Amino acid sequence: MKRYSQTTGEVGESSDLSPWKTADALDLVYVGYGLLIVVLVLVSYVLGAFTWLPYDPEQIRVDLLNAPPGSAGHLLGTDFLGRDILSRLIVGIQAYFLPGLLAIVISLLLGTTLGALASYRSGEVETLVTYFNNLIDSIPRLVLILLVIAAFKPGIYYIMVVVGVTGVPAVASLIAGKIGFLRQKNFIEAAHVLGLPSRVILLKHILWHHCMPLLVIQATIGMGEAILIETSLSYLGFGVQEPTPSWGNMVQAGANYFFQGKFWPSTAPALSILFTILGFHLLGDGLNGILEGSAGK
Amino acid sequence: MGAPLLEIENLRTYFHSRSKRAFIRAVDGVTMAIARGKTLSVVGESGSGKSVTALSIMGLLNAGPGVISGKIAFRTDGGERNLLHDLEHYVTLGEQDGRIMEVSKDEAGWRKQVERIMAEVRGKEIAMIFQNPKSALNPFVTVGHQITEAIRLHTPTKDPKEAKERSLDWLERVRMDSPRLRFDDYPYGLSGGMCQRAMIAMALSSEPALLIADEPTTGLDATIQAEIVGLLAELKSELGIATLLISHDIRVVSRLADAVAVMYGGTVVEYGPAPEILGARFGLKHPYTAALLASRPSAQNVEEKGGLPAIEGEVPDPIDVPRGCRFYARCNRVTEDIRDACARHEPALKELTPGHHVRCWLYGD
Amino acid sequence: MILEVTNLRKHYRQRAGIFPALRSRERFIPAVDGVSFCLEEHETVGLVGESGCGKTTIGRAILRLTPATSGRIVFDGHDITAMSARELRPLRSQMQMIFQDLDAALNPKMRVRAILAEAITTHHRLSDGEVARRIGELLEQVNLKASKLSNFPRELAGGEKRRVGIARALAVGAHFIVADEPTSALDVSIQAQVVNLLRDLQRQLGLSYLFISHDLEVVQLISRRVAVMYLGKIVEMGLADRIARAARHPYTHLLWSALVEGQSKEASHAPLNTRTGAWEPFDFERPVSGCRFAPRCPVYEARGRPAVCTDAATEPQLHDIGGRHYVACHFPV
Repeated sequence: MKRYSQTTGEVGESSDLSPWKTADALDLVYVGYGLLIVVLVLVSYVLGAFTWLPYDPEQIRVDLLNAPPGSAGHLLGTDFLGRDILSRLIVGIQAYFLPGLLAIVISLLLGTTLGALASYRSGEVETLVTYFNNLIDSIPRLVLILLVIAAFKPGIYYIMVVVGVTGVPAVASLIAGKIGFLRQKNFIEAAHVLGLPSRVILLKHILWHHCMPLLVIQATIGMGEAILIETSLSYLGFGVQEPTPSWGNMVQAGANYFFQGKFWPSTAPALSILFTILGFHLLGDGLNGILEGSAGK
Repeated sequence: MGAPLLEIENLRTYFHSRSKRAFIRAVDGVTMAIARGKTLSVVGESGSGKSVTALSIMGLLNAGPGVISGKIAFRTDGGERNLLHDLEHYVTLGEQDGRIMEVSKDEAGWRKQVERIMAEVRGKEIAMIFQNPKSALNPFVTVGHQITEAIRLHTPTKDPKEAKERSLDWLERVRMDSPRLRFDDYPYGLSGGMCQRAMIAMALSSEPALLIADEPTTGLDATIQAEIVGLLAELKSELGIATLLISHDIRVVSRLADAVAVMYGGTVVEYGPAPEILGARFGLKHPYTAALLASRPSAQNVEEKGGLPAIEGEVPDPIDVPRGCRFYARCNRVTEDIRDACARHEPALKELTPGHHVRCWLYGD
Repeated sequence: MILEVTNLRKHYRQRAGIFPALRSRERFIPAVDGVSFCLEEHETVGLVGESGCGKTTIGRAILRLTPATSGRIVFDGHDITAMSARELRPLRSQMQMIFQDLDAALNPKMRVRAILAEAITTHHRLSDGEVARRIGELLEQVNLKASKLSNFPRELAGGEKRRVGIARALAVGAHFIVADEPTSALDVSIQAQVVNLLRDLQRQLGLSYLFISHDLEVVQLISRRVAVMYLGKIVEMGLADRIARAARHPYTHLLWSALVEGQSKEASHAPLNTRTGAWEPFDFERPVSGCRFAPRCPVYEARGRPAVCTDAATEPQLHDIGGRHYVACHFPV
């Protein structure tokens, strides 16, 4: 049984309700949860940067090794060296936040530029860009990163540059596709006829008006991926090294004690990884549903 | 004369706009009848509800809530059927101030019910042809195969070879050029006019009692339109088939229609015999019909009058339906003594001369 | 003379074959094949024809939306055929287009106010107040309610969208407008409004129009001169009255008699027999030599298929048959 209703008799000439009011409830939940995660991450980043932490994350407490959550004021317990897990989790964000942003900025900027170049000036430029894209795409990301690490033993920022560059083809093809689609539309031609320079048309009409949602969503996905890569590398021992905390190396460290019944040292960071990446992805998903849903009318 | 072949009574088809949280009253109480062997043409502009009416008859609407009230009596040799049988069991309406503000509908159940009724009717007893024939045909199947398929589905002829012969026969009857060659062509290889002929062949091959033609000439070139209209006129006299012709093109209507129903804002504002509705006696017409006929370029010599007599305003919004007469805002024949009635109450259909009905306060209450 | 088009040609190249690099079998589709006409100031010239005749392509070529393959386009004394984008910019403010598709001509993400403001400020630097004043002026000129300014294009009705398109063309300050099927997508009752509006604007602002349409009646009403096109060529051109009452080319006759209602009051010629067999889409693989209308031409049939019509060397050209009335036919009716 489906129920439809109308509240007022006179509907009037007002604009349609904004996409936020008519969105699917689920999408709003996704966005809400995603925003919550983003806020938590931001707050934690600031806390970590100013070291406003409950405990010193590197302070070893020999008397409280692997203490369970709640013992002696440690909300999430301590790890195998008696260090407060919560504080280490907060500081762990430093490991991926800025590097992740770097990766996103690189892939979005470079990707948009290449996509726009390829699409707006077809011909040799397009072929070149396509070759470049295919080249990058053909190498598995993690393998490339491991190779880079093996060869150069770089810091996390350099790794994120690689992550950023490997993310370029995805963004470039999305942008190129969107531009290719829009170019034929009469309003772009109308803008040409008006006398607007190509640059303005591209930046204003195409990118700003039509591609922003796409880029925002790519940013959220990119962040999720960056987190995953950083934590994976740290877990494997290639990323952030002890004693500096990273969620990845925390999981690794705690894994040894998992089967001794002391599950929280590795579970806490693992769940943090899970819920944070989920948050970013759902944010992107929800935004996509809301913004693209309204465009479909 | 006998009872009409198809009789629609008080049909209402509503949709719902999520962004505006309001009903789209596409068809808001339509009553009309098609006599056997005659062509009824429904004339109207966008937002009038004419296409939705046809889709409601055929049960081809997917959006909710869809058909919410009405009766469609279909009388063939096999008896009389209501194509909207038992609709009341699936729909509950809530009114406020004489206007429907709430609809509860068991859509899944109703869809099953419609299929039960229409499975035998669709394509077999009532056939339909559409606008944009190229896109209405299956692009992956040859034209001939589509007609053969229709024959095998809807007629007793099941043998493929026999069905093919009949297809070719029909292609000839629709004056298709080189039928044997065209039989194996795909729709993209044919022009718009040829695709339309193929679609007509497909529709008529089952020898239906009623043909619904939804804007069959729109989108075709002027010279091809003339050919298709000529074809429909010839087939009409050859086969004696009843037709519901939906069009906004008065030229096409005047060539083919026996009776005309003028729709505006989801309701029928005038209907009657074609010569009376389309003829030149503007005094005895609905103001909309009169204004529509007068605003066509061919009817005027522009230099003399300094401009076409256009109707002010925009076509009606099916969401924001006014209280009184739907044409009131654009009407140029409102007089002071009926102004109040026009603004507040919707007039009922009144019979002016035998068979000619008008919905207007100018012609009495 | 505000516009002079000489021998305009637009060919599309279609590469056939699996390996485009091998350049096997290139086909030329002559969408516009040698079209010449001129347009005087304050005049409306109508371009009429069915789909595929090239009329839209001509409009787009004049506005340099597609580059012409060959020929010359002279606008206001400037040869714009091969001008660079930079040279063309200042001229763009003089010539604008009204697009056929109501929707796609307006950026769906911009409100009407922003669309008009952009048009106004593209070529002139104005203060906010001046822009607002100009917008108000435009709304009055096209008879659009001010409340529509905050709407998005999708919230507007067909006629309203058309008016915004017209306002946009005027906003730039154009005095030459190519109107590509301005009434086609509109309801009949709105078409009359738009035709009236275009005529009024022409009188008030001294505009010149190239009016492209397949609707012969509307073209004939609004134009001073009409050119009839068939498959890339102009087959008849002359004063609108003449084309309506005394058409000489068989195709023009066919177009008029296709107006199904029967004789319109203006047409006083008897319709020719139009049973010429089904029409085939123009097959560019086997180009027709000589007159392109011959396969459908009743006169060609009636005269026993004279060779002069289909011989490539004697393809009919436009010639003056008196009173600036041109016909491209060996046997004008």
